[in-house]
Amino acid sequence: MNEPEPTLECGKTVEELGDYLAADRTPYDPTIETCPVCLNELRALARVSRLSGDLLAQDAATLPAPPDTWLQAIMHNIHREMRAGRDLPLRHPDPRVRITVTEGAVLALIRAAADDLDGLIVGKCELLGDADRPGASVDVHLTASVRWGRPIPELSTALRDVVSTALGRHTELDIAAVDVTIEDLHGYVATKEVR
Amino acid sequence: MAASERENPSSHRLRLVNDEILVARAVDGDTAAFETLVQRHGPLMRAYTSRMVGSRTEADDVVQEAFIVAWRQLPTLRNGGSVKSWLMRIASRQALAHIRRRPTDAALPPREVPVPTDTHPENVAVRNAELRALSVALDKLPEDQRQCWLLREIAELSYNEMAEELHLSPATVRGKLARARTNITAQMDGWR
Repeated sequence: MNEPEPTLECGKTVEELGDYLAADRTPYDPTIETCPVCLNELRALARVSRLSGDLLAQDAATLPAPPDTWLQAIMHNIHREMRAGRDLPLRHPDPRVRITVTEGAVLALIRAAADDLDGLIVGKCELLGDADRPGASVDVHLTASVRWGRPIPELSTALRDVVSTALGRHTELDIAAVDVTIEDLHGYVATKEVR
Repeated sequence: MAASERENPSSHRLRLVNDEILVARAVDGDTAAFETLVQRHGPLMRAYTSRMVGSRTEADDVVQEAFIVAWRQLPTLRNGGSVKSWLMRIASRQALAHIRRRPTDAALPPREVPVPTDTHPENVAVRNAELRALSVALDKLPEDQRQCWLLREIAELSYNEMAEELHLSPATVRGKLARARTNITAQMDGWR
């Protein structure tokens, strides 16, 4: 590891210039900014750095698609590692029988109910409270993204309704509140060209 | 409750939403959202890893492993919006581990990295030639310098992160990166 440091004819090292560039040329260094050798090197470094990003983007765009089995193998593996979460109790007339539904299944139910709504995609779902204790009241927190141009208040209300209905029909959770946060809008298509 | 089967028809809609929503769903166990992340970020990860390990077939294995690791570790990701750089870091780690597992006396696989093709209109021909020149320059770098360059410029790791992944000191990493920069800019001199 004793190769000499690459140094420019003005005495600055390539390391220094690389660091300066990485720091967005701040704080302003007059010994670099007024030196033609440094400026030339900075230009070259910035250019190859930008080109590298472009090269990899081009690689990515022109790479042949992997065989179908590639994605299938990933999905197969992650399906074996499902996220179950807590066990949520369901009542049964026979006290010796214990039935539970996993939290993961309830979250999937919420997503499935929400995904039936046109113009809204739900993100994070949380069951807040002791959902694993029978009879405990639970708050549902949801985040969602609304499609550009769709009415946010109506869709938020519709989301709360479908989620409450689905949970009421399929679980015994005592839902105190369904809170919805719209975090993002999606599907925006610019109609004017950006100048 | 077989709700997950119902999620598949909506997977084309998932392509419209941002990474944060997809990560939140995947953390909650939505495999369709994770699949959308694979489709969105897989191509750059495959391209990057191909340059890193020098073989597309090996890169595909590495990226597969990276996504499986990512699924497990996703609940630890604080900011879903930064999932792309987080995935690139996992891909870096898997690629370097893959390289370390190679027997040291074994011949390296013949490098089969993509060389950009010139199939575009003439006004971008110069640019394609530039990209080809960079591709060749990258390929001529010693392996350790190429790794440093890719970790810094493509995966955008900091010196400390690079040092951690390469099991080297930050000073050594800076030195290697400077040499990589010098070699590449020298190779690209004709294009200044």
